[in-house]
Amino acid sequence: MSSESFSIKLDRRALIKTAAAVGVAQIASPFVITARAADTVKIGLDNPLTGTYAALGKNELIGAKLALEHINAKGGILGRKVELLVEDSTSGDAGTAVQKARKLIDRDKVDFLVGNINSALAQAIANVAYEKKVFHVVPGGHTDSVTGSNCHWNVFRICNTTQMEASAVASSLIKNAGKKWYYLTPDYAFGHTLQAGLEKAAAKLGGTKVGGDLTPLGTTDYSSYLIKAQAAKPDVIIFLQAGDDAVNALKQAVQFGLNKKFHLAGAQQELEVLLGLPPEARIGTWVFEWYWNQPNVPHVKEFVAEIRKASGGHVPTARTWFGYAAISTCAIAAQQVKSLDAVKMAKAMQGFKLPPEIALMPDGAYFRKGQGQLIPDLFVGQAQSKGASDPEDLFKVSDVVKGESVAESLAETGCKQTWPS
Amino acid sequence: MQPADFTKQAPNIVVWALLLTMPFWLSHVGGYTELGSQVVVLGLAALGLNFLLGYTGVLSFGHAAYFGLGAYGAGMTLRYLLPSTGMGIIIGTLIGTIAGAIIGPLIIRLRGVYFAMVTIAFGQVFYFIAFRWSSVTGGDDGLTGWTRLPLHLGFTTIDIQNNPVAFYYFVLVMFAIAVGIMAWLLRSPFGRTLIAIRENERRSRFLGIPIDQHIWISWVISCAVVSLAGALFALLNNFVDPRALYWTQSGDFVIMAVLGGMRSFWGPLIGAAIYVVLRDYLSSMTENWESFIGLFFVLVVLFFPRGVLGIITRKVKS
Repeated sequence: MSSESFSIKLDRRALIKTAAAVGVAQIASPFVITARAADTVKIGLDNPLTGTYAALGKNELIGAKLALEHINAKGGILGRKVELLVEDSTSGDAGTAVQKARKLIDRDKVDFLVGNINSALAQAIANVAYEKKVFHVVPGGHTDSVTGSNCHWNVFRICNTTQMEASAVASSLIKNAGKKWYYLTPDYAFGHTLQAGLEKAAAKLGGTKVGGDLTPLGTTDYSSYLIKAQAAKPDVIIFLQAGDDAVNALKQAVQFGLNKKFHLAGAQQELEVLLGLPPEARIGTWVFEWYWNQPNVPHVKEFVAEIRKASGGHVPTARTWFGYAAISTCAIAAQQVKSLDAVKMAKAMQGFKLPPEIALMPDGAYFRKGQGQLIPDLFVGQAQSKGASDPEDLFKVSDVVKGESVAESLAETGCKQTWPS
Repeated sequence: MQPADFTKQAPNIVVWALLLTMPFWLSHVGGYTELGSQVVVLGLAALGLNFLLGYTGVLSFGHAAYFGLGAYGAGMTLRYLLPSTGMGIIIGTLIGTIAGAIIGPLIIRLRGVYFAMVTIAFGQVFYFIAFRWSSVTGGDDGLTGWTRLPLHLGFTTIDIQNNPVAFYYFVLVMFAIAVGIMAWLLRSPFGRTLIAIRENERRSRFLGIPIDQHIWISWVISCAVVSLAGALFALLNNFVDPRALYWTQSGDFVIMAVLGGMRSFWGPLIGAAIYVVLRDYLSSMTENWESFIGLFFVLVVLFFPRGVLGIITRKVKS
């Protein structure tokens, strides 16, 4: 290559070709706006479809789609058809999630934003939604700050706070497993606040922390952490991982035989994780946020049947319900005020109790006033290796805890909303 | 103007015309202004990397470090120090540049794959600092709780906070300054010397050129431009997270430069445009979007080793 090549020598034809190439790069890059009817109401879902939380994200999507079907079958929102725009936020890349949120708001002009499973991503896109004044529902990112110190008037959350989960499960853990706890905690917002919540709840009941490790999101090899945990000789090894991380951590712990020496348990557990585990690793005391096997609660059976049809025979998980409830909340908010004005909708949802066919739990669920946090029931119980009635009945609920009894008071959460004038 | 001059200037004219008018036509082809800003910001980073890669012949796989330092510098200035977008950019760029200047002497003696490996290693140092130092950087959750602010120029105020078009032009002005300086440097004897080093390092050394100093200066300039791009990227998203420092981000810059054509001045910008637009479009279509970008990259490298612009230039010459 000669040094001449440094200066670009082009003749006119080349110029035209260059211009054409640039043009093609832009136009053929197929922003093709698929003739979207201008009069649809748009809900943007910015949620993981790849990575550690892919399985959870896909279940939320199944629930969201069912809600969408129900809404459109009943005539849509304000008589307009509802459209769901889905973007993959990735499981841990907050930058991508933020860009996707901006894309949904700026380009697609969505009326509602829904997401995210990852707490850090949920907080990051909640800040974007706040900046843009868009009604935002967080289906499944648990860290306290989303409806706590960093809450916003436009942000509502379906899943529990980590503090509620910790308080709900702490006494069962102490009773069933012991008082000396060792923590394996995912190193981001969700893990940090979940561990802090557990430490606080345990301290009240006489539990102590004998050690702990922070594991990066997406860790696949937990052996070094497990060896350290074993050396600390705790009563309980607390696993706070979620998604594929939880599957890997628990599987390896059982392979190491740690289940024979210690109690393996934790706070939040999900059906997706139990399904991903070998039967011998389905152990421990946990809290579920929603469970499909609630024989005496109305509407649940119908919901389970519909999800089974949509998902090829699988039962709904807490995630499916999160997605379903999140999208339903959007429609309810608009119908309450007969408008898509975010401020009006958010005002109408303060203290709003979800109808039983959406809440799908014994005591119902409502959005706490001044916080945007849904206060539902929590299901404490034990993982079981094999379901008695159904192969996917892998959790035995021993205790239904009312959200009110475990949630911090509004003042304690540190949530102060400032509404636009 | 001589006809020869015109053909020489033609690519510049086309690129600038497209960039200057972007907000007016972008929405008609289905884009949105912030996508345009993204292309310009990442294009600037790729052009900065290419100063080193394309014109000095040194492959760095760690430029995300300086991109991220610029981003964190800008974000943390606004979050902790003072509410000024301008100072955020200046401090962010300075931090990235100083870090580059300090690390430079430790690595400039290395060549080829060793150079690339050590740049990755230094890049990862900054990534882990940002990841682990949660109390200051926000850790894996990212740095939030700040936003870019309107620009006060004394005689007038430009609302780059709420007006995306104003922000686009603000980014474009920064882009123009940085690109102008790089183009001027490349035209100077210094730039010619860099190309001589790229073409034949040993011969240049025999001619008495102080090779290490030249590579160091080129490295620092490249880091400065990339950290400016990082600062602008933070302002664009009102957000920074450690992935801006991760080695895969460095890889993205290299991909952009190679995709567009690293031997042509505007190549990396074209590469960045293709990369950003493709990512934006494909990721809405399929969750396997990364495989398609990878496939596209492999095809370009196999069949158009000089990138998209390179193939056009060669065709015209033959």
